[in-house]
Amino acid sequence: MTKSKRLLLGALFLAFLYGQRIKTGPEVGRQVPDFSAKDQEGREQNLSSLMGPKGAMLVFFRSADW
Amino acid sequence: MGVAAISYDSVGALKNFADRQHIEYPLLSDPESKIIRAFDILNDTVKPGTFSYGIPYPGVYILDAQGKVEAKYFEDDYKDRVATADILARQFGTPVEAVRGVAETRHLQVTTAASNSLARPGLRIALSLDVELNPGMHVYAPGVQGYIPIDWQLEDGGPAAKKHAFSYPASEMLHLDAIGETVPVYRGHIRLRREITFAQEGALKPLAAPDGQLMVKGTFRYQACDDRKCYVPEQVPLEWHFQYEGLDRQRAPAELQRKPD
Repeated sequence: MTKSKRLLLGALFLAFLYGQRIKTGPEVGRQVPDFSAKDQEGREQNLSSLMGPKGAMLVFFRSADW
Repeated sequence: MGVAAISYDSVGALKNFADRQHIEYPLLSDPESKIIRAFDILNDTVKPGTFSYGIPYPGVYILDAQGKVEAKYFEDDYKDRVATADILARQFGTPVEAVRGVAETRHLQVTTAASNSLARPGLRIALSLDVELNPGMHVYAPGVQGYIPIDWQLEDGGPAAKKHAFSYPASEMLHLDAIGETVPVYRGHIRLRREITFAQEGALKPLAAPDGQLMVKGTFRYQACDDRKCYVPEQVPLEWHFQYEGLDRQRAPAELQRKPD
């Protein structure tokens, strides 16, 4: 078999072995769940309050502290 | 377009961070990871009871005005991040070009640009190469037989720890009367784009000059011909300049730091 096929099968096998995959949440085309939370100024925010006319960019990050 | 970020930090820790980094867009506090769980991105490999339990798999969603996901960007390795400047460029088509350099040869002009001017550890950015051929000139596309095709290489061992796969744009078939052949070529303007991920801090920081300047080097190889003759193949040296920025290691004051339950 070609080298690239061997590499692909090897990678798939390893992926199967290790199993652990990251989770990425709602699929493209799906609606995200609505939510509500306080921001750094204590203001209550939700999906509508964050929306711009062209939509929104939502960044999930691990921590602002560590 | 609205911008917001969400983490499990307290309002106090987020305010501390926002003030220090001069962030004006909303940072939402999700201390019980309710939103993180609602999105189903809770990192379940972290043990409950530890201070990092509750963190998400980090990533970015681009939503339309109705709240539907248009695109999402998540990396397998949490230490790698896609540059938001590059996400905006991909979504809206207009490249946010922070860095520009120009080189000229007898046959063409090459412009280098990048999506970001700051080099941060683990950051994934886009490099672009714009080639403007002189009138009457053509160069060859990869896969051509008998001629030297264009080739964009980046140096090994530099700030780019990962050089991601990229493809060359579609070429056109040109019939060369002089030799009676039809070959794949580029004429006029060629736009090349590829992504790199900067090395982690330990490998990246030593590469920066005392003033913080970092350079990614590469080459652009080509063979130019016009309708009468072919010229000697050339290799153009390329440079992308960045300013190194290290990781923010500053902690919030002790009373604002998260404690395990």
